[in-house]
Amino acid sequence: MRVVIIGNGVAGIEAAITVRNREPTWSVTIVSEESDHFFSRTALMWVHTGQLSHACIEPHERDLYARMGFERVRARAVGLDTAARRVFLAGGLAPLPYDRLLIAAGSRPRPGPWPGADLRGVGHFVTHQDLAWLEAEVHGGPSRGGPPPRPDAHLSATADDSPYRPRPVAARGGARAPAVIGGGLIGIEAVEVLVAAGLRPTFFIREDWFWPMALDPRESAWIAERMGEHGVDVRLGENVEALVGDDRLQRVRTDRGEVDCDLCVVAIGVVPNTDWLRADRGEPYRSGGQPVKLDARGGVEVDEGLTSSVDGVFAAGDCASVPWYDGVRRPEQLWYTARDQGRVAGRRLCGDTALYARGVWYNSAKLMDVEYTTAGLVSVGVPDERNWFYEERGAVRSTTRIVLSGERVVGFNLLGRRWDHEVLVRWIEEHRSLDYVLAHLTEASFDTELVPPLEVPARGVELDGPAPTVIDGGMPAMVV
Amino acid sequence: MDQQGQNGLMRTFREPWRSRGALAYVVAALLTGFYVVLYWTEWLTPAAVALGLRSKWLLYGALYSVAMVGGAAYYLRHHGNSRYNRVRIAVNVGVQVALAFLLPLIMPLFGGPEAYLSYFWPLSYDKLWPSTLSSLPVYLALYFIVGSLLVAPLLAYRYGKRWYCSWVCGCGGLANTFGDPWRHLTASSTRSWRFEKVSVHTVMFVAVLTTFLLVLDAATDGATGTFHWLVAGGQWWSVKQLYGLVVGAILAGVVGVGFYPLFGPRLWCRNFCPMAAMLGLFQKLGRFRIAVKKDMCISCGNCTTYCEMGIDVRSYAQSNQSFTRAACVGCGMCAHVCPRGVLRLENAPREQADKARVRLPVVDL
Repeated sequence: MRVVIIGNGVAGIEAAITVRNREPTWSVTIVSEESDHFFSRTALMWVHTGQLSHACIEPHERDLYARMGFERVRARAVGLDTAARRVFLAGGLAPLPYDRLLIAAGSRPRPGPWPGADLRGVGHFVTHQDLAWLEAEVHGGPSRGGPPPRPDAHLSATADDSPYRPRPVAARGGARAPAVIGGGLIGIEAVEVLVAAGLRPTFFIREDWFWPMALDPRESAWIAERMGEHGVDVRLGENVEALVGDDRLQRVRTDRGEVDCDLCVVAIGVVPNTDWLRADRGEPYRSGGQPVKLDARGGVEVDEGLTSSVDGVFAAGDCASVPWYDGVRRPEQLWYTARDQGRVAGRRLCGDTALYARGVWYNSAKLMDVEYTTAGLVSVGVPDERNWFYEERGAVRSTTRIVLSGERVVGFNLLGRRWDHEVLVRWIEEHRSLDYVLAHLTEASFDTELVPPLEVPARGVELDGPAPTVIDGGMPAMVV
Repeated sequence: MDQQGQNGLMRTFREPWRSRGALAYVVAALLTGFYVVLYWTEWLTPAAVALGLRSKWLLYGALYSVAMVGGAAYYLRHHGNSRYNRVRIAVNVGVQVALAFLLPLIMPLFGGPEAYLSYFWPLSYDKLWPSTLSSLPVYLALYFIVGSLLVAPLLAYRYGKRWYCSWVCGCGGLANTFGDPWRHLTASSTRSWRFEKVSVHTVMFVAVLTTFLLVLDAATDGATGTFHWLVAGGQWWSVKQLYGLVVGAILAGVVGVGFYPLFGPRLWCRNFCPMAAMLGLFQKLGRFRIAVKKDMCISCGNCTTYCEMGIDVRSYAQSNQSFTRAACVGCGMCAHVCPRGVLRLENAPREQADKARVRLPVVDL
């Protein structure tokens, strides 16, 4: 049996390990344009600052591929022939035959829609190659941890529109006036690494407050305040219209004026990395047989078993559009769901009938130095919504927001303290009331030792109405 | 304000002196040279006397305290936004200055012995030797016997070996203050773990055996001794002398501190300290553990990188496994640098160790 996995990310590698643990003799080939070794993409920011090296962010020792008997191909996949069951590769490499195929190609950065988005000095912060570009712009090169092994091994087998091509560098260590566009998680990570390099970035956010997908204006104001304290010029509600320069970036033009810049990180989201699956794209792309069905967002449409529209072809991770609790398919661009999907896909590749079912939503993040935990339905709009909000300003600063649908607690949005989401999720599943949750809140605490516990007032906190939401039609207003 | 996570970002791999640049080798050579001079010459004695200190060892204690205080300032600047870190370092530095410098300095002025009360057997390998015990006042002999054989293991069982290795011990204290800039240099490979398991338990065995032979000698033959002599390098050595040279001077001092800038500050604690090995066994049986929050790890590697004992914390975190490793000294840095708050140090009762898994992402047919 020949298993081929497109993608060396968390979904791909978990699937490969799952297959190998079950089937010691099968051939398992991992195709990756980006990197020799599986790494934690969420940790790229610390490689930039110098807090971690490339080796640090690789979760397995480097002999994993040899030990597990995985074949590795550093090349761009440029199409599928689902009839003849083979993957086309760039650079004149022979097509790769498969019996079962997993597409785990992840995301690629959404390109800036403005004029000048391809100027030198403009880039993203998603891939290894983006990191190398931003390191070159800000620091003049990688840290003493060095570059990743064989950073250019894919260049003989890539394509002009690949997100993994090295980006031309404008400032070569001399960037002094950076800008970041896009008020989401990648945006604030870019801001954080620029601050760590001693720079004072301008942060353009289209919305009226930072990260409205997750935070309400009060919560967001705290994060904006923290950024301000670090010298970040946070521009809220400002729309970028063009990036201006002759060859190199010189200014960002917005609906409010112009700002001089010599570096710009575009962080306006990611899209499924599936362009190469579309038929009739012209050289070097090729296709054959029934194409794999993509949805409107570009994700590979899969069922609960992560099976695509084509027999023997599965998809997992960021590039897969999986059914959500409301039945609508969307990509889930999260680390832990990609890992879970990779494991289910691995079982599928072995011929099992494992199913993937996402439970109650939860996630965590760190925004500057403020830790964030969320669970359930927050900032999406729920029927008869009310919000219980408490701001703590003592030895610890924190905010606690509990979202109610009628009398039932359906969501938590928590900043500044550490929480065990397992307990929060259990309360949501158990249909707990606000009184119950407030009385038991310390059970969900995951604060480090010696941190004084959160004391919430039992009474006297007015319930607010629905939290403002920017989501229209994207997420359903329903209770899980 | 208490922020639990890391405060700002460390530039570790962009600072050559912290990432094996030329300066790191210079510092290592100077430290190694200092220990050679300290152990095998009397060059420091005149300086000690000039400062009004009775011996080079008191001068060493003073320098040690200064290094810890200076290192503590560095540590608090980088990690001082966590209350656990602040309290722990304050206690550790306080113990060093009070019990390992001031008290030995002052006690003889009042006719007492120059006793180092924060060091127990088997780290302080001669504390339970018959010759040492018989030279001490009874209350001190009892203090070291009860402390070494009863209190230390009991506390390790209840709170983990961190009570000693990260709150009291001077070796650990120097590692966590003066040595903090190099904590990420500890190897975390499987190979280094294999070496550690063999070496640290071997030293523990030799320490216990040495003490046992000396006690046996004292019990059978008094002062002259017959059991503890052995041949090494073509001449007769006492086990005492040999252990003191190899473990006490070379491994704990020259290698243990001298190699800080190249191999991390816990080289001694992890690979050679008999006390760490012994308390590790009680820790393994006891209540201390690092709790892992389920399915929240992003495999970033901060915990593994900044673990000074070379434990691959990430491998446990990403497999949702709360764990107790004998090596863990409970410095708390893994929990501190975790960007998702996945880890927490706990003294949990055993039965609470693993709750049932709630989320069921995979439906298996």
